[in-house]
Amino acid sequence: MLVTEFHHLVRLAGEMLPPNVALLWRKPGLFETIGTTLAMTFLGTVTGCLLAFVLALVAARNTTLHPALRSATRLLFGLERATPNFVVLLVLFISFGYGPFAAMIALAIGSIGMFGKLFADAIEEVEAGPCEAVELVGAGRWQVIRYAVMPQVLPVVVGRSFYAFDVNLRAAIALGVYGGGGVGFELQLAMKVLRYADAFALILLIILLITGMERVSDAVRRRLLPQGVLK
Amino acid sequence: MSAALSIPTATARADRARRAWRIVLAATLMGALVVGSAILCRVDVVGFLPGLFQGLSVLRFFFPPDVGSLAEMVGPALVTLLLAAVATPFGVALSILFGLAGAANLSPAWLRAPARGVIAVERALPEIVVLLLLVAALGVGPFPGVVTLAIGSVGMLGRLFADAIEEIDARVIESVACVGASRWQVVRYAVLPEVMPSFLANAIFRFEINLRASVLLGAVGAGGIGLELQKAMALLEYERAMMAVLVTLALVFGAERISDFLRRRVLEKGGLR
Repeated sequence: MLVTEFHHLVRLAGEMLPPNVALLWRKPGLFETIGTTLAMTFLGTVTGCLLAFVLALVAARNTTLHPALRSATRLLFGLERATPNFVVLLVLFISFGYGPFAAMIALAIGSIGMFGKLFADAIEEVEAGPCEAVELVGAGRWQVIRYAVMPQVLPVVVGRSFYAFDVNLRAAIALGVYGGGGVGFELQLAMKVLRYADAFALILLIILLITGMERVSDAVRRRLLPQGVLK
Repeated sequence: MSAALSIPTATARADRARRAWRIVLAATLMGALVVGSAILCRVDVVGFLPGLFQGLSVLRFFFPPDVGSLAEMVGPALVTLLLAAVATPFGVALSILFGLAGAANLSPAWLRAPARGVIAVERALPEIVVLLLLVAALGVGPFPGVVTLAIGSVGMLGRLFADAIEEIDARVIESVACVGASRWQVVRYAVLPEVMPSFLANAIFRFEINLRASVLLGAVGAGGIGLELQKAMALLEYERAMMAVLVTLALVFGAERISDFLRRRVLEKGGLR
């Protein structure tokens, strides 16, 4: 099938080349568009990972308030993981209208399932020694979490959160296509009005954005983590 | 902790001051980023709660799910499943080629660099972008979806495969090469047995990812349950949409369980051997 239809691909490639790179400096508001994508990724990751961490405390065996709550939260994580991001987005459009705000909340919710589970697993793998030591000198539940659990899991949580940012950036572009705004939406628009040279320029921009941000988040994480700044 | 115990010398005080300064700086930077992002995202603090309640009140239109439409959902669900099931083997085959070509200990530099380049670019390219391109060329339908997912697997599987091959103990490869094996025989008798279990486990995991992606891609033109869901939402048939969501959940949840089980089996028993 690919063989018989191949000339369509060639024709499309012909229409896309050369990429309209001039778009990058000619198009008004393009930098705001890039900013929007980055902003919804950042906010979605921050709020999502905070929510995920709070829920993970409930979902981890050693810090949970009640075993029943633990299973309920674990189930919630499982359900959330199984729900595609864009289903959440479609419902959020009803609440908040089209645009980056709904996409940002969808990203935040989308981070809960996967990263809540990862955080909870990290909390469960905490060494028991420090927890018992803190408890023995009279610490309450919150003090144990603050002085024994947090110092142990924070590096893991922060490391995973940087990974969440990378995952969410890709998701943000996909959600943009569905109407979440940002670069994804611009790309979809360019494809719909058959401006393929513009679309190609935007695709190059997306590739640059994703590889670039991966480098940046790697560099920041490396600076942040080994120094123990977070303890 | 240690600062509190030691005598507060001038250096310790300067240290603490620097630490406090750092925290203030980090907090300010974080705050500026959050506020800036909130403005760009058009975050609506005032409208958040009303919006939330509106959303929750709309949720009641989703219940009860339209069980009568279940029969109509089975076909699209199968299309989604088939999409992932057909695309994964093709993706795996492509990944093996790119993985072999991208491994430093097997392939010459002139082949390795472009192979790694393709893998890196593909990894940076969201699936939806590939699909938009293929739909523009080939029209809507499951076929561009299959091609998208097959290509999409290369970025992840190809890289994992190439990395795994590079981590093989050089002695294993040398010992096979020493007894006169050709390049292909080295691959067959030294490389594949070493990396197969982890590669199979990754491939099974990729099937799971492909299934999720194929729901998502469905809404943009690949068809299947994703399209069904989007149609129902667009027509405001929320009860029907809920049914589609439930079918999707069952599909993805089931796939996750099966893939978990298979992966554990493969990793414990060493796969095909």
